[in-house]
Amino acid sequence: MTMKQANEKLGQGVGFERIRRITGYLVGTMDKWNDAKRAEERDRVKHGLK
Amino acid sequence: MIHSIIKRDGRIVLYDQNKIAAAILRALEAASEGDAADAARVANAVQSALQAQFRETPPNIEDIQDQVEKQLMNHGFNNAAKAYILYRANRTRAREANTSLMKTIDEITNIDARASDMKRDNANIDGNTAMGSMLQIGSAGAKAYNEMYLLRPEHAQAYREGDIHIHDFDFYSLTTTCCQIDILKLFHGGFSTGHGYLREPKSIQSYAALAAIAIQSNQNDQHGGQSIPNFDYAMAEGVAKTYRKAFARTLANAVEDFLDQEDLAERVRKIVVQAETEAGEGPKLENYTQFDPAMNANLCRALCLTESDAARLIARARRRAWRITEADTFQAMEGFVHNLNTMHSRAGAQTPFSSINYGTDASAEGRMVIRNILLALDAGLGHGETCIFPIHIFKVKEGVNYNAEDPNYDLFRLSCKVSARRLFPNYVFLDAPYNLQYYVPGRPETEVATMGCRTRVMGNVYDPTRQIAYSRGNLSFTSINLPRLALESQGDEKVFYEKLENMLNLVAQQLLDRFEIQAGKHVYNFPFLMGQNVWLDADKLTVQDDLREVLKHGTLSIGFIGLAETLTALYGAHHGESAAMQEKGLAIVSFMRKFCDQISQAHKMNFTLLATPAEGLAGRFIRMDQKRYGKMPGITDREYYTNSFHIPVWYPISAYDKIRLEAPYHALCNAGHISYVELDGDTAKNVEAFEAVVRWMHDAGVGYGSINHPVDRDPVCGYVGVIGDVCPRCGRREGDRIPADRIDELRKLYPEMPAFQGIQ
Repeated sequence: MTMKQANEKLGQGVGFERIRRITGYLVGTMDKWNDAKRAEERDRVKHGLK
Repeated sequence: MIHSIIKRDGRIVLYDQNKIAAAILRALEAASEGDAADAARVANAVQSALQAQFRETPPNIEDIQDQVEKQLMNHGFNNAAKAYILYRANRTRAREANTSLMKTIDEITNIDARASDMKRDNANIDGNTAMGSMLQIGSAGAKAYNEMYLLRPEHAQAYREGDIHIHDFDFYSLTTTCCQIDILKLFHGGFSTGHGYLREPKSIQSYAALAAIAIQSNQNDQHGGQSIPNFDYAMAEGVAKTYRKAFARTLANAVEDFLDQEDLAERVRKIVVQAETEAGEGPKLENYTQFDPAMNANLCRALCLTESDAARLIARARRRAWRITEADTFQAMEGFVHNLNTMHSRAGAQTPFSSINYGTDASAEGRMVIRNILLALDAGLGHGETCIFPIHIFKVKEGVNYNAEDPNYDLFRLSCKVSARRLFPNYVFLDAPYNLQYYVPGRPETEVATMGCRTRVMGNVYDPTRQIAYSRGNLSFTSINLPRLALESQGDEKVFYEKLENMLNLVAQQLLDRFEIQAGKHVYNFPFLMGQNVWLDADKLTVQDDLREVLKHGTLSIGFIGLAETLTALYGAHHGESAAMQEKGLAIVSFMRKFCDQISQAHKMNFTLLATPAEGLAGRFIRMDQKRYGKMPGITDREYYTNSFHIPVWYPISAYDKIRLEAPYHALCNAGHISYVELDGDTAKNVEAFEAVVRWMHDAGVGYGSINHPVDRDPVCGYVGVIGDVCPRCGRREGDRIPADRIDELRKLYPEMPAFQGIQ
């Protein structure tokens, strides 16, 4: 692949990484989380500072 | 006449009455009834019955076993009949376990981890790789064996049916959970990893490198994560050694320049050593009142310098040595963080689970360590990625780093800034009364440290003279499905407490059974943990000794999950909803803690109460409870039970109230606890707000806490922060490409932008 071709495709199919804390540990991305952990993360609400 | 029988797999084999007689004899012996002659009589009766029953086709195994049961009873051997029935049931369970084991291995082998929840049970093992799969297969085999052969039937049933969860069950017969590694003790005099001997390190780089190796080595002896309780105090020694060498070198340079001479390095080094001997202390970053006058005098005498020239040269050497040491320390800390994110343990399947505690060493060397580990954490990995390991834990203490006038307050502030960007450090609060009771100024081993995930080991019923964090850890833990007990009690509080007490007794017995297995191990089973004296009192063990006594320094922990759902099931609301419910919640958790304290005294061992994390386990419990009870609002209607004593993650509540309500449970859960506050990205960026939340935690009596906020990263342009649908830096949407002309533009603005294969 030439530099030009590579540049044109840069980013294609590449997702964002979303790092979250679960059970005390950080996990690089959520791909490897089990279903219950994903559900818990999805349900979290933010806590206001009053 | 019976000639043949049908085996379970369908094969037809010759009938052998001796086999039946032998099985009957085993049942008789197990029940202490009858003898071989009785066995033969019963076997004859079995044969006659079978002949009458099966004239055309051969009997199968189950038919024969039915007859054995019947004939044992007919002959009055009732106890033997019971023993035989139990034996049959166990064999059936074993066969089913085998089948299910093969199915599990089949799933591990053939199904993509993305489609298999089981393979994603532990998020840090990649179930798609060869070594990760091998680990999972071993784990599945061990679990099947342990349930079949090591658990009492009542424990196996409670585990299987989801009344309890035995954590790290695959390692049931093999090892213990974790340890706080006193890295200084390990380094002094050097140590062996089992594959080679390492001399005592002599610079901050080696200190940091060996610290990573120590974590890795110990992780291979235990199944849990590993932690260093004294990272700052320990690395400070490495900083001092680096500074001492740097000072001798920079002084030599300064002297050579001043005298316009070469080759003075060795001579100056000897003068430094002479000054050290006279002063009784070496060159340090600060407080060098003894050393400097001695250094000055020796320099003047040996090289015919004036006192003021010598003082100027020493001052210059100090400044340069400081700069060199600071730079070396940063590199060492950066290397340490990179190592812990890239090195592997457990046959390459895992990055070591590692934690480091720091924040209270106020010496100049300790401060240099804390500052640079925070800066390395802030810098991230090679492409600016947020480091997953180690977990950083900042120890907060009034008089050391909490108040503006404290010596390490600047570092506490820095930690807030870094945590607001990188999610670490977490905070452990030494001023909480249940932590403060152990604290002795000047003795870092009395400072509470955590294993990162939450585990905490301080009190020591076995040896009250050793209530310290160092060289100890958890042995094993088992969690109770609290909502199940509440659902079974159908709103009756008295029934609930009776059930809870029974369950606590069951778990305590199971932990003691597991301890019996652990206690029978020897030093050679733990070449690093025990062989290198990492564990407390391991140095007192001989080759013949088992580990029983030294392991008693560790903890046996009873955990629980789903206090919120429990309260809702029993009383109709959870502890975030009313003060009355908070009182009820505290009553339940106090009851469990009291049980732990009493049983600790009875056994003179450390039973402690754990606020169990593990949303994976919470998912396992709730799936089973949904089958039994359906989806009950506020109890079983989600995919997980709430973590320990937490206010449910979905319940709207202010940060302040969440902290206030959860703090009292920290005091009760002496095996470990953590509270989280979720901030939105913009609030987290505001360091003042971030610090305010940490201070609320401190003042409320929280033991261990951390602040969650979204940390996203675009791997294409390297942006780290909150990303909604569109990356704020490069403007692309997830999965989109960046316009080609935009890349050069971005690279000029952000030189740290990741490089991609084929582009540079």
